[in-house]
Amino acid sequence: MGIVKRKSAYVEYAQAVPLKYCIDGDSCIYIQKGKCGACKKFCPTGAVDFDQKEVTETLKVGSVVLAPGFRPFDPSKFDNYQYAKLPNVITAMEFERILSASGPTMGHVTCLSKDEKEPKKIAWFQCVGSRDMNKCDNSYCSGVCCMYAIKEAVIAKEHLGDALDCAIFFMDMRTHGKEFERFYENASEKHGVRFIRSKVHSVTPVTNTDDLEVRYVTEDGELQTEIFDMIVLSVGLEISPEVSDFAKQLKIDLTPGNFCQTATFSPVQTSKEGIFVCGTLQGPKDIPQAIIDSSAAATAAGEILAEVRHTRTKTAEKVPEISVTNERPKIGVFVCRCGVNIAGVVDVPAVAEYAASLPYVEYATDNLYSCSQDTQETMAQIIKDKNLNRVVVAACTPKTHEPLFQETLVNAGVNKYLFEMANIRNQNSWVHKNNPELATKKAKDLVRMAVHKVALMEPLEEAELQINPTAMVVGGGISGMAAARSLARQGYETHIIEKKSQLGGQALNLYRTAKGEDVQEKLSDLIGEIETHKKIHVHLDTEITDVEGFVGNFETGLSSNGTEETLEHGIAIMATGATPLQPVEYSYGKDSRIVTALELDRKFIENDSGLKDLNTAVFIQCVGSREPERMYCSRVCCTHSVDNALQLKKLNPDMNVFVLYRDLRTYGERELLYKQAREQGVIFIRYTLENKPQVNIENGKLLVKTVDHVIGRTLEIETDLLALATAVIPNRDDKLANFFKVPLNDDGFFVERHAKLGPSEFATDGVFLCGMAHYPKPIDESIAQGQAAASRGVTLLARETIFTSGTIAETDPMLCSQCGVCVSVCPYSAPSFIEEGPFAEKAQINPVLCKGCGLCVASCRSGAIHLKGFDNDQIFAQIYALNEAV
Amino acid sequence: MEHMGIEPGRLQFSWVSSAESTKFVEVVKEVTEAIKALGPNEHFLKTKAKVA
Amino acid sequence: MSEWEPKIAAFLCNWCSYGAADLAGVGRMEYPPNIRVIRIPCTGRMSPKFFLSAIREGADGVWVSG
Repeated sequence: MGIVKRKSAYVEYAQAVPLKYCIDGDSCIYIQKGKCGACKKFCPTGAVDFDQKEVTETLKVGSVVLAPGFRPFDPSKFDNYQYAKLPNVITAMEFERILSASGPTMGHVTCLSKDEKEPKKIAWFQCVGSRDMNKCDNSYCSGVCCMYAIKEAVIAKEHLGDALDCAIFFMDMRTHGKEFERFYENASEKHGVRFIRSKVHSVTPVTNTDDLEVRYVTEDGELQTEIFDMIVLSVGLEISPEVSDFAKQLKIDLTPGNFCQTATFSPVQTSKEGIFVCGTLQGPKDIPQAIIDSSAAATAAGEILAEVRHTRTKTAEKVPEISVTNERPKIGVFVCRCGVNIAGVVDVPAVAEYAASLPYVEYATDNLYSCSQDTQETMAQIIKDKNLNRVVVAACTPKTHEPLFQETLVNAGVNKYLFEMANIRNQNSWVHKNNPELATKKAKDLVRMAVHKVALMEPLEEAELQINPTAMVVGGGISGMAAARSLARQGYETHIIEKKSQLGGQALNLYRTAKGEDVQEKLSDLIGEIETHKKIHVHLDTEITDVEGFVGNFETGLSSNGTEETLEHGIAIMATGATPLQPVEYSYGKDSRIVTALELDRKFIENDSGLKDLNTAVFIQCVGSREPERMYCSRVCCTHSVDNALQLKKLNPDMNVFVLYRDLRTYGERELLYKQAREQGVIFIRYTLENKPQVNIENGKLLVKTVDHVIGRTLEIETDLLALATAVIPNRDDKLANFFKVPLNDDGFFVERHAKLGPSEFATDGVFLCGMAHYPKPIDESIAQGQAAASRGVTLLARETIFTSGTIAETDPMLCSQCGVCVSVCPYSAPSFIEEGPFAEKAQINPVLCKGCGLCVASCRSGAIHLKGFDNDQIFAQIYALNEAV
Repeated sequence: MEHMGIEPGRLQFSWVSSAESTKFVEVVKEVTEAIKALGPNEHFLKTKAKVA
Repeated sequence: MSEWEPKIAAFLCNWCSYGAADLAGVGRMEYPPNIRVIRIPCTGRMSPKFFLSAIREGADGVWVSG
């Protein structure tokens, strides 16, 4: 990013895949001037090739997914922030690098001015290059900057301590993502980050220093100045001209903001058939939404290719497994240098030499990068040549690399469980870099412990399971139907289980989308396709009574009007949706003129003739959202109210329309609606949680009283309609969550596998989620997530069979005392009593359900349960090897 | 443990989620300090020496 | 070594603390090099026998973290 100089031969970034060096042709002296070539001379493997040329290849494909991403906005052209001139005015992207452990300052927060001092006060300016038509053309909201600014402020405080002063200057704080509102609240309440609602006027350097004087106008019009050490510009996301030119070349329609034009009901489909889009080209978005989109685009691309699935798959050749029975352990130890990551601290050759002296070790060596493909091949060859039957790799962490090395073992014909890793990078060289001597000692200890353990490892089998190619979708709303449609289009039998007597869910109550499509028309098209699809079976008025089984083979009990049936399926998708809050404040229920947002939609759907005769309409936002008992933003209501305000203006341009809001959260290109509403005279008045609007009915008049912060006065509005933007409440179903062993958060939304990287799946295998059961979201995002859940599900269904883990518990019926502790203690219901035969009433463990946690092993009073791969003797071996004397 | 003559402080428990690396480091430091304060463990070692 | 350094057997849950330990590495955070990590699938696997045996084998302390 140009914060510090980079060598001409470089690795893109520390976690780059593949982790290989490349040469920057623009700065390489050899490429530019024909001199030097030192890298070629010194490279021991001859990997440097200066003659590589760009080659053009032609691929024949059935569908295309566009995911070119964004570029951060360049604030150089803004003269009021003087980014280009002042060293301590930086972009948020540059600040991310400063916070990063692999960044130019090794994660130490310092100013970029020559003194490199630690900042004491940092300011963030929001909406730089977003929501701005004066200084740039980006009128949309970039959607992610509020959250990243808060995150950066909190992390900066973690790095430099609470004394660091962090101030965020903003217009509307837009923390509409899952768990974001709480983060915002904590940043303010616990971490003391200051939030200042103001657009900054100018920045000037303090004479003879690199400090910065900020002039800004507060909400009540007062001009303030404050001095900061560092200013971070929260730059927006934009599509680069290269990408938009490319899109135009493909004849794909773009929006005014240069994002890809998509329809609400087909959010990843471009205007050109067969070409799909995901990520920020579809619209500015954060990581979870980009991941959802990418899964959705994958499934959409797959739907049109479903017929040819598996036609061009290459099968890997299987190497027959060698038997190690009755063979003494012959251990190979590979100590990895990981470039300089390990070798820079730990004396790797000494560790390898030491390893060679350990019992049963036949071979020990060190590798530069054990994970590189050529090293993998060499290792497999060594294992074969030396007849090794146990392997220890001392390298990074088994959490990321164990599967890779196990694969190497399999390729050499060795059972993959005859393997152990010693974590000498993440848990050694990286954390003890100032203590090479002790780090080397620790590495030797860890290697010794691993060697002692691996000597006792036994080959383990993995059970192979057939997957039932049937899917069950719980919930027949928009996202559930989108998931079912994707699954069915890819050839899988799909059952939709719906509690109510019709499909459609909350979408049945919606009038139109933010893009102006008629929801009821599009919804009936979707329902029509669902009802007529041969592979989709709809179960209405149906409840789930019981779930047995596990990934690939679930058996779910269904009850419908007294009839019971059992459905066998391989995967399940939770799409249980949400409902609007029934408000108890603002006099709701006392007057027919006070309605919820969905009740207003109903009036629109039914063409209520009374709407156009209204003189005044008032919207109140955040009814039940962003409050202590419901600390989340309902995400959809701002856009919904703004759109309905515009609809009212359309019916009657003379109508007085007021929107009372806390922060207006029309993220992405929804911002254009907000702009349009202001242009058409909709009046937006901000209120605070401490000073909510008051609603009174006096002599038949409906009166709304609120404080206007800009003019500092209390206003009283007499209105004919009051629409309450009520919170979105998940259809919390603890029973269902329990059936599938999936977690719910305090608010009642399901908790996904990973907040960023696994938004549409659960930690439980074979169970997925989508729609508002995950978090409140508009139709386009619900459909994308429905497709995403289907996509994740297909990755399992398409495999046809799965292997279970080998590291599971096993009982020894001879020792079992039938006490039943394992049966009651297991969180996965894996142990049960044998029903008949010689060992009747003894405990047995279902290898498919067992997750290998070892709870039963530790609780077994008879010592009758063994945990394969982590058995007592194996752990004892590690303990015995703690001290060198043994 | 006391019954066997082992200082209870030699056994430490904690709960750290996989995202809490900062907490992990804090706990490592605390645990190390606590055990350092107890001095070398001298129990059972003699018996072991005899056996060995 | 001039000063005595304790040796601590650390039984870390694969899913929680072991992950945190890896992450601490990614963040290049420094901490004392006294712990020797034994990866266990879950703290439920921990048995008092492991503690006693570690103490018997000369560990100066045992740390169990989930």
